Amino acid sequence: MACPLPVVTVKRALEEPGSVGVTVMLDDGAPRENVTRFARNRGYEVNEAVTADGITLTITGSSGGVASPTISSQPERRNLFVTSDRLGDGPEELGRLLMKNFIITLLESPLLPDKILLVNQGVLLATEGSELLETLEKLGNRGVELLSCGVCLDFFGKRDALRAGSVTNMFTIVETLMAAGGTIRL
Amino acid sequence: MVNEGEYIAVFNSIHRVMKAEKFLKELKFPILLIPAPRAVSSDCGLALRYTEKERIAVESALAGSELAPEMVYCRRGNDYLLCRGVES
Repeated sequence: MACPLPVVTVKRALEEPGSVGVTVMLDDGAPRENVTRFARNRGYEVNEAVTADGITLTITGSSGGVASPTISSQPERRNLFVTSDRLGDGPEELGRLLMKNFIITLLESPLLPDKILLVNQGVLLATEGSELLETLEKLGNRGVELLSCGVCLDFFGKRDALRAGSVTNMFTIVETLMAAGGTIRL
Repeated sequence: MVNEGEYIAVFNSIHRVMKAEKFLKELKFPILLIPAPRAVSSDCGLALRYTEKERIAVESALAGSELAPEMVYCRRGNDYLLCRGVES
């Protein structure tokens, strides 16, 4: 399972209604470090056991005792709804530069969105050739879930070129936006 | 976004850094235009990021095209060490 999928998978499991924890088997190295950091930042207790097959992490507790502030760990969840590969109106070159700067700067912020939803030309940010792939992977490792609109990827012929996050549909996009405490549209 | 040991070149104008980015990309250098870290710039500045391996080639190419950066910093731990300032 390639990064940031281990973090995203654990995050989803922990967010299941009634979840009191999960046990997950991981490879040593980055998956182990990323999942451990993510869970501890959310206030969970992480116990580690080394087995012949790899590392087993038992994650228990609740996200109530948050060690590091993230928006997603606050009572109000907030999402980013990215509808373009450019930020703002104006020259195309400047818009692309500003979008790239925004996402990279987001990585430096202690407050992160719960999800980033990419639609229309926004999906191009997560496809092959995007300069943001490294940044998006790092955001994923910090628990930010990246979802790209499948229709949009198909329209641009880029479904096979998706390199970060996963594909979603409009049902999930609508449900996510309506359930969120707040959405920031870019 | 700047990893340990990597370098960032800071320029004195947005147009100059964008010109430098375009120039280096045409030469296929693996550089990335990023927001300048707070530690080296108090405004909404930009910087070019590259590895130590590429450093000499990148900076030589820039200097040879009158696009030498204003400052070059190297990431060491949590600090950015000034490597040199270039007359622009």
